[in-house]
Amino acid sequence: MTTTEMRLATEAAEPRRVPGQPDMWVFVLVEALIFTSYFCVYLFSRTQHEQAFLQSQSHLILWLGVLDTIVLLTSSWSVARCVQHSRAGRYREAKHAALLTTGLGLLFLVQKIFEWTALIHRGHTFTSSEFFQHFFFLTGMHCLHLLIGFFVLGLLYLQLADPRKRSQETVETCATYWHTVDFLWVLIFALLYVVR
Amino acid sequence: MKGVFDKRRLIAWLLLVAITLLYPLIDHAADKNGTLTASTFLTVAAICLACVKLRVIFREFMEVRSAPALLCRITDLWVVLIASVLIATYLAGRAVA
Repeated sequence: MTTTEMRLATEAAEPRRVPGQPDMWVFVLVEALIFTSYFCVYLFSRTQHEQAFLQSQSHLILWLGVLDTIVLLTSSWSVARCVQHSRAGRYREAKHAALLTTGLGLLFLVQKIFEWTALIHRGHTFTSSEFFQHFFFLTGMHCLHLLIGFFVLGLLYLQLADPRKRSQETVETCATYWHTVDFLWVLIFALLYVVR
Repeated sequence: MKGVFDKRRLIAWLLLVAITLLYPLIDHAADKNGTLTASTFLTVAAICLACVKLRVIFREFMEVRSAPALLCRITDLWVVLIASVLIATYLAGRAVA
């Protein structure tokens, strides 16, 4: 049997189920809609004041945004591995993956603080222009979600560390939240750093 | 089987990173002597690429691929909805500007 055949056979044998608690999926989809509503306000504003937005946007460093995105994508990959290890009963590896995810989240936060500090030092603050008002609001709201994510990852680690508390559903729910932090950033990055 | 699933996620991660690295390329192509200029092509491309990444995250990292068909359809619908609404808002905004 080839590898693909083995995979298909395993997938066919496994019942399809929602990863984590369904409530978290409702949160994910509602959160995506709330952010999308704000993105629409931002996009419409920038089309009305195109030159002013472009002028302010030119002060952002695109490669810093690219680096932020790669760090968060890697953290998402890491937490997906954590779920997989936990499902297979490899709790030691799962804990390592959870710690790596937290480390990458912290790295993202440090990069963001560095970027905010550099912008503020150059006179680009929340009130300096409409673009930076949107920039600081969106990145700030995202960082708030990131901080909640650290609490969620702590919960995930505690679940993995204590055999009496282990629940695969909770592990998957925590991972789903972290992926939400990642995909929201994917959209924010495209809209703030790339869109013209 | 562990290796197969690990490999699949690794490929998904590589694809996501590769798409992210496309941004500076298309961004640079839209510049005129280092000055940022408005570009509908770049905006639509950026939104579409972000939504492709969103779908990969849903399917591969959030395990929607092995979830019930209803969740697969809802998440796909969400991705299409987000992309359509964002592009429509941008185009409508440019039309009335």
